[in-house]
Amino acid sequence: MTVELHDITVRFGDVVALDGVSFVADQGKIHALVGENGAGKTTLMRVLYGAVVPDAGTIHVAGSRVSFRNSGEAIAAGIGMVSQHYSVIPELTCLENLILGAEPGWALHRGATIQRARELAAKMGYEFDWAASADRLGPAGSQKLEILKLLWRGSRTMILDEPTAMLSPADSEGLFQSLRSLADQGATVIVVTHRLPEVLQHCEQVTVLRGGKQVGAQPVKNLEAASLAELIVGQQVQARNHGSAIPGEPVLEVVGLRAKGYRGDWAVDGADLTLHEGEMVGLAGVDGNGQRELFHALVGTLPSEGTIRFRDEDWSGQGTARRIADGLRLVPEDRHEEGAVDSWSLVENSILGLQRCPGPARAAWLDRTQATAIAQRVTERFATRHGGLDYPISSLSGGNQQRFVAARALEMSPKLVLAFQPSRGLDIRGSEDVFAAIRSECRAGATALIASFDLDELLSQCDRVVVMSRGKIVAPPRGAEMDRSAIGKLMTEVE
Amino acid sequence: MNDLLLLLGSTVVLGSPLVLAAMGGLLSERSGVMNIALEGKMLAAACLTAVVSSSTGNPWAGVAAGVAASVTLSLVHALVTQHFKADHIVSGMGINALAAGGTSLLVKGVFDREGAAAPVFLPVAAYWVTALVAVLYLVWYLTRTRGGIRLMAVGNSPSKSRQMGLDPLRIRIVSLLAAGLLCGLGGCLIASNAGSFTDGMTSGRGFIALAALILGGWRPLPALAGCLAFGMTEALQLQLQGTLLLGVAIPTEAWNALPYLATLVALLFRKGRGGGPASLGVN
Repeated sequence: MTVELHDITVRFGDVVALDGVSFVADQGKIHALVGENGAGKTTLMRVLYGAVVPDAGTIHVAGSRVSFRNSGEAIAAGIGMVSQHYSVIPELTCLENLILGAEPGWALHRGATIQRARELAAKMGYEFDWAASADRLGPAGSQKLEILKLLWRGSRTMILDEPTAMLSPADSEGLFQSLRSLADQGATVIVVTHRLPEVLQHCEQVTVLRGGKQVGAQPVKNLEAASLAELIVGQQVQARNHGSAIPGEPVLEVVGLRAKGYRGDWAVDGADLTLHEGEMVGLAGVDGNGQRELFHALVGTLPSEGTIRFRDEDWSGQGTARRIADGLRLVPEDRHEEGAVDSWSLVENSILGLQRCPGPARAAWLDRTQATAIAQRVTERFATRHGGLDYPISSLSGGNQQRFVAARALEMSPKLVLAFQPSRGLDIRGSEDVFAAIRSECRAGATALIASFDLDELLSQCDRVVVMSRGKIVAPPRGAEMDRSAIGKLMTEVE
Repeated sequence: MNDLLLLLGSTVVLGSPLVLAAMGGLLSERSGVMNIALEGKMLAAACLTAVVSSSTGNPWAGVAAGVAASVTLSLVHALVTQHFKADHIVSGMGINALAAGGTSLLVKGVFDREGAAAPVFLPVAAYWVTALVAVLYLVWYLTRTRGGIRLMAVGNSPSKSRQMGLDPLRIRIVSLLAAGLLCGLGGCLIASNAGSFTDGMTSGRGFIALAALILGGWRPLPALAGCLAFGMTEALQLQLQGTLLLGVAIPTEAWNALPYLATLVALLFRKGRGGGPASLGVN
């Protein structure tokens, strides 16, 4: 089922999100849609999914003209979409999630439905405990369930928005194998992504958007990474040359740290870590090995045992406020839950967490003028696109929110920057900017610990990489600090 | 032995209105609409059923009027929270105030005149059966039907539900209509139990039902248990009134406060919002 969008224009108020964009995806192929943050990728896909009604333009599905007023109509026409943040509802069971909106009848016949669900899952090589609650599914499980949801609805055109954003490398590989087999069976697969290796390795056709316009559509075969990157950002991306750090004195010393995860097991189980002044250290590891809990323990939001010393201060008994006063800054993993208050303005969010620091704080009051100046700096640092500092942060696109939260962590002389996937949802240039800014803070005397599930990103950006595995931190052997295969072995626990 | 039977009997009598209101509240809150207006709906229904059955002499007309009043207030709640996107608590407070003032006014106009006939009511056992059927139906409905899982989904996330092709607004309106129906029956039962209508006669039972719903984690059977437990404290205080406690005479007013005290204590022991609809009160 070939889908064609022609001359699609979408305006949100005065902003033209899409300007006469055309997009064609052929049946039986994996099609990539790439572009910078705010280029209009998600909006274009939401048009195809009926969630956004375009101001102009035509949509053809399998040769016939359609116009969708809502997602229900698009679903009926065989179009399915998995959004970046998934739509799995944790309150329901896996089975209920699977059939939600496409239930076989008025009453649920669980036995028969589970049977059909099992058959469907078996086709993809997946396994689910269908009666279990969906709140225990990790990112990989949720992604698989989303794909099965598409199949359950009989979708023949499948749109996946940033499908690997939350997946480990192995799970991403598995996902693309699944997508390949779906395409081979005649599905039209559209993947919205930032990760060029995925495009080059797994996709057959690529469409590039830039600033709401379509700037290229071509087969992936014979396409080079550099020329694709150039098409996306509109200029030659410079090769990296960071210079290396000359590490100074040890500043952060973590010994025998233990912290419990939400299941009650020791997610951080005797972790030792020493960070030196001026260095930028990557924390690699497969998702779920305690990285999250380590960050929370370092920030002071998760009770922990063991010692954390920072520049001769014993942090173990200190709360988060004291650690922030000592120079701790955080780019949290989930900006919605931990990084920003959605309904607050950019000014308010720009001092969120820093409200006790001299500057925004004046005795017991907040200094509005200072806060506005900080918000100004925060938005300018990574060229965050916004409609005004008094607008709520929820009015920003996802990538711009990430830029904002990352820039805030570099405000007011940071000493220790903890960043969990700081480039999440950012395009090439955005993530380059964020890493460069963190690096320059480090060269000026700060220290950074950066967790990511993208090993290549860590290897190319950090001074050295350590691995978190089963709650412990292991460093690669001397001389192989930046050796991809040595680190990969540690991550996957291959002896 | 007789005391025990009396206590159990009174528990059913006093617990049933709570059960009906709690099941109404469950439908509303599971769809994501916070509903502190259970109280006002019951009060309006109790009043209208008494007034209409008194003037027509037909108990069925009374029930129809009571339920219609409650359903109308539910629709007002739907309009205010869903169309005008107002805060759910504020809308609920407004409805409660409207019901308290409106019934007071109406009753003065009708019963204070000479020669008003006594209201006639349906046998209360009919309500007990309805309450039990409502609970059992909801147990089945929430986990075994298409409508049930859609209701749970909308209460958890209207935006995700919309993505799955559901119509959250429609689901919420239908849930609120059903909530109006059940609360209305609860109100009719309160008037039937008393045999007449007196000003402010629901005396916070809508809030006790809401407390039972929250304590029961927004699930039908635990909420039923909560309602019966509260009904039992009420029955208990009626039986204990006038008895000496450790040789001291406790004032009637203190005994009257027992169900409310029990509610407060029970809520203290429930921590957090675990098990509740994630998007409760979110438009």
